[in-house]
Amino acid sequence: MTPLQLLFYVVSVIMLAAAVGVVVARSVIYSAVFLLVALLAAAGLFVVLFAPFLAIVQVLLYGGAVIIVLFFAVMLTRRPDDPQKLDNPQWPLAVVAAVLVFGAFASILLGARWVTKAPGPAPDLAALGDSLFTQWAVPFEIASLLLLVALMGAIIIARPGEKEE
Amino acid sequence: MIPLEAVLAVSAALFCIGLYGVLARRNAVLVLMSIELMLNAVNVNLIAFTAYLAPARNIGQIIAIFVITVAAAEAGLALAIILRLYRNRGTVNVDEVDLMKW
Amino acid sequence: MVSAATFSSPLGMSWAWFAPMLCLAAFVVLAFFNRYLPGRGAWLAILAIAGGFVLFFPVTADYLRTGQAGQFSTPWFAVNGKDVSLGFVVDPLSIIMLGVVTTVALAVQVYSLGYMKGDPRFGWYFAVQSLFAAAMLGLLLADNYLLLYVSWELVGLCSYLLIGFWYEKRSAAEAAKKAFITTRIGDVGLLLGILVLYKATGTFEMHALFEAIENGAIAPATLTAAAILIFLGAMGKSAQFPLQVWLPDAMEGPTPVSALIHAATMVAAGVYLVARSFPLFAAAPGALTVVAVVGLITVLIGSTMAIVMTDVKRVIAYSTVSKLGFMMLTLGFGGLTAAMFFLMTHAFFKALLFLGAGSVIHGTGGKQDVKDMGGLARKMPLTATVFIIASLALVGIPPLSGFWSKDEAMVALAGNPLIHILAYLSIFLTGVYIGRLCLLVFFGTPRDQHVHEHAHEAPLSMAAPMLGLAFLSIVAGFVALDAFGPALGVAPRFTGIGSFLYDDHPEPYAFHIGIAALSTLSALAGLAVAWAVYGARLVSPEAVTRRLRFLYDLSVNKYHMDTLYQALINRVILVVAGVVAVFDRAVVNDVGINGPGRATVSTGVTMRFHETGKLYNYGLAMTIGALLLIAAVVILV
Repeated sequence: MTPLQLLFYVVSVIMLAAAVGVVVARSVIYSAVFLLVALLAAAGLFVVLFAPFLAIVQVLLYGGAVIIVLFFAVMLTRRPDDPQKLDNPQWPLAVVAAVLVFGAFASILLGARWVTKAPGPAPDLAALGDSLFTQWAVPFEIASLLLLVALMGAIIIARPGEKEE
Repeated sequence: MIPLEAVLAVSAALFCIGLYGVLARRNAVLVLMSIELMLNAVNVNLIAFTAYLAPARNIGQIIAIFVITVAAAEAGLALAIILRLYRNRGTVNVDEVDLMKW
Repeated sequence: MVSAATFSSPLGMSWAWFAPMLCLAAFVVLAFFNRYLPGRGAWLAILAIAGGFVLFFPVTADYLRTGQAGQFSTPWFAVNGKDVSLGFVVDPLSIIMLGVVTTVALAVQVYSLGYMKGDPRFGWYFAVQSLFAAAMLGLLLADNYLLLYVSWELVGLCSYLLIGFWYEKRSAAEAAKKAFITTRIGDVGLLLGILVLYKATGTFEMHALFEAIENGAIAPATLTAAAILIFLGAMGKSAQFPLQVWLPDAMEGPTPVSALIHAATMVAAGVYLVARSFPLFAAAPGALTVVAVVGLITVLIGSTMAIVMTDVKRVIAYSTVSKLGFMMLTLGFGGLTAAMFFLMTHAFFKALLFLGAGSVIHGTGGKQDVKDMGGLARKMPLTATVFIIASLALVGIPPLSGFWSKDEAMVALAGNPLIHILAYLSIFLTGVYIGRLCLLVFFGTPRDQHVHEHAHEAPLSMAAPMLGLAFLSIVAGFVALDAFGPALGVAPRFTGIGSFLYDDHPEPYAFHIGIAALSTLSALAGLAVAWAVYGARLVSPEAVTRRLRFLYDLSVNKYHMDTLYQALINRVILVVAGVVAVFDRAVVNDVGINGPGRATVSTGVTMRFHETGKLYNYGLAMTIGALLLIAAVVILV
């Protein structure tokens, strides 16, 4: 087994275990921490798959920004009677549904004939940036617009009204 | 050489774990976390496809960048909504927010 | 047969269709615009019918000149490749009816100017009168049975509208309903008869039908069935037994309406129908016998009921029933000429009787019962005179018109001794009831002083038509004589009426001194009896009633026919209607119509529970939906 393969299996196991931890943890904070671990493991997976830039972006954005915001949300929406039960009444059905969906995916991907090539070296970062600003310029601009709208939207939704504070 | 199916299976499993979280968790913030897991599974898929099927191009990575962007924006908005919900209803439990009930 | 193009000769036979069209146009204008016209447009209606009256003369002259009947038709519509045409025929039968209808209608409409003055729906009255005239003229000019049926129904409609003209009165509305429903029973028979004939020959056209019958193309059983069905229609319209119950109730309408529709024209439509279909009746075995029997029964019950009625109009109504039966009886014996001649003279003096009664009602301020009258001859001499003339004509005193027509009829009935004797009996009874009526209304001591004091004579608009009809009642009978034709200058082709209208061959006027004398004697005997009981009070009416208690009860209760019909309606028709109503309500409405609605609502009520309002439930549903879609795609593709 090559080091790459070993790395892949280890990272995958960590990621999946952390993901399971997110969805079964008994406390919201624990879930948040598990999410952080899962996201970092995903970054590792990106490295294995010859996408180092993505890995860094993942760590920065998810690990740096999204998780922080999630923690704030958890803090601001805690109720005095925490901890309570964190699962829905329908969680058995959810298990069944998730298993079925996995089964569907598995059957499809195992049944398909993939024309694979050997995974090659990481693409040139300059080439990535180049195509991002030429071929993908329009989606890039739209994405920035999206972020602007999200920013404005978040402010408007979450700001205190005239009656409050 | 890691087989493509293995990678895809991992991402499928991640997706389904996230799906379970969306359907089975009570706290809205937890639901949001599960959605992030699903989005990450999508990203893994994209990276795997571009690595195994078209290594010369990097289309999958670019799309993955956009996915991350959108996910971040969506997370911010969703949390704003959750805060507003908490302020109005005093709770973020999704089974206590059922005004559209029959 | 002359099938000429229209308007070929200046004002000839081809103009006959103008008469109904004028009245129809008058109806349309009056129905919509009567309130904008001066005098509410009554003059327009009168102008239209006068136009028809005027047209009668050139049409007749044209016929007398050519001696050939004219038939004019134009294609109307086609169904399944079969053509139906619209047309009219001008032959002796339709000419006589044309003359009668236009004359009486004109007289009645002029009379209505005075009688209906001040009525809030004056304009509508004249509108419906015009429509009636148009429909009646269309009926008698029609050359195919379909057009005849359409006009037949229209006439029935106008009768309904006019009987129920004062519909605020409950009894009038009920009477209109009764008339329409009773004649409807007959109309169904008529339609079925027409359809039977159509099925057998493939045409509605009378001329073609009669040719087919002559050629023996139709089976006798079919002929009899068709004839009986058509006679059913005639029974309804002409108030024959057992469908006579509507005619006395129809007296709820204004008196001019009774004069026009229920004495002279519409009720004569049944007689006309049988006469027009005479080739059919003659060829169908047993049909004429049925006609005669029904007519005989009608004669007897009509005259017995007329004797005991106290309402002036009802006496005359039952007299009409009886005389219509007499006409049918005559037709049953093959006396086509005699029956139509009787119809003509009867129209004049019966209409006059009604107009006179209307004058009495008008003059006494609305009283109709004889118990409020008496001695009115002093206050209303003109009315009394014309009324007595009409009565004498009715009973058949020579040389008035009624004598000649009755005589011809009696000649036709001479074939069967029993019927002949019963006919004399009916003449006797006629004398009794009409004499009774005259004496009770115009002579003797007034029974109601107040009414007597305020009684006044009719105005000119009412008196003039009465005088005109009186004149006709006197002289119309002379057309029977063989000297009539030469006097007009149309000899040698036309002499008396027997040479004008006939069944197989022209008949010269037959005068049997014996029959004439016997019938006059019966009439005088009846009058004498009436005078004895009601005039000189030799016998008191009460004593007579006591002696003939059984007959009196039967007659006064109209032979219990109304009770019978009502029981039939209550026990049978309403029960069936109830069953049908239950079916309609429970099955058609509740299951068929409300069913889907209620099902939808109840489905919604039960299905709403799946809207839990909880997002995770919706998420699960979406997941399951996606799974199903994937499965579908995988399986199908």
